[in-house]
Amino acid sequence: MLEKRERNSFADRVPLRELFIGFLKVSLCGFGGGLVWARRVVVEQKQWMDEQEFAETLTLCQLMPGPNIVGITVCVGTKMRGGVGAIGAVAGFILLPWTIGLAVGGVVLQHAEIAMLQNILGGLSAAAAGLLIGTGLRLLMPHRRRRTALLFAGLAFIGMAFTGLPLPIVLIVLAPVSIAAVGLERARA
Amino acid sequence: MNSSSASLVLAGHLAVLSSVSFGGFPTVLPDVHSFAVARGWMTDQEFANFFAVSQVTPGPNMILMMSFIGLKVGGIPGAIASALATFGPPCAMYYLSYRLWDRFRDMPWQRIARSGLVPLTIGLVIAGGYVMARSSAVGWQSVAITAAAAAAMLGTRLNPPWILAAGGALGGLGFL
Repeated sequence: MLEKRERNSFADRVPLRELFIGFLKVSLCGFGGGLVWARRVVVEQKQWMDEQEFAETLTLCQLMPGPNIVGITVCVGTKMRGGVGAIGAVAGFILLPWTIGLAVGGVVLQHAEIAMLQNILGGLSAAAAGLLIGTGLRLLMPHRRRRTALLFAGLAFIGMAFTGLPLPIVLIVLAPVSIAAVGLERARA
Repeated sequence: MNSSSASLVLAGHLAVLSSVSFGGFPTVLPDVHSFAVARGWMTDQEFANFFAVSQVTPGPNMILMMSFIGLKVGGIPGAIASALATFGPPCAMYYLSYRLWDRFRDMPWQRIARSGLVPLTIGLVIAGGYVMARSSAVGWQSVAITAAAAAAMLGTRLNPPWILAAGGALGGLGFL
């Protein structure tokens, strides 16, 4: 109870403006997937969550339907300022970038056939993929000495990258086993 | 069908899809594709272009892609309806589930569940990067760009947009 109150009184100090601007930044910088920037802003710059809590929140969002980054936005906003915080963070994430994207994208779409444009898009997507891999490896760093964690991260990777199974199936199979493994470890320790 | 009732049909369909889009919105793309193209709202080529442009636009990619479809079907009101249908229902669910999750945060069972789930998430993030790399690989050059970007992300504090810009520039200069 006490811990909860402390968390809330800390949270009261984060102005809505800052949530709005923080997630506006996540949104505008998030070429090819916002996860990279969500981690950078939430964990490194604003320290609204630590590495562990961020990864846990991401897990919760992956278990739910919808765009995962929007989920992170809602969860961080809720943690810091409740329902109002969630609305402020989501507004920051969507409002301006959506308006600009619709306007600029509409113009680009009228010129989609240009070859040079295709080449640039190819280079961008290759780099974006690398950023995602790098972000995942960074999230893995705090767990690098836990052998079961490495094992289950590896299994989830293989399950998603090579089997062609849908994500819910991969999670339904692996999650109980992974949780049971942690439970056993704790019981033994 | 006039454009405003078509917009409503589209938004209703998107609201249902967004409520069941476990694993993120890309998993329901095939469904949206057949729904929109079969009704003659757009061609295959237009649909593919919407996807490509929304992927390299900063911001909420999938919301934007659905809005391009809505824009095509019913103009600006159609775009707004599509956007709301895509992010509204999931937002309500995220909010409620985070509240529940947070209330039981200090329970021992939840700590165990969290430590069990985190490695899976990390594996899935890396898999997402790998699948994207595989689909954008056109030769050793694109693999090299991906590897260099991953190394830069891991080993330096370089801002991600610079890494992306470098990738885009290499592509534009004909490296790929």
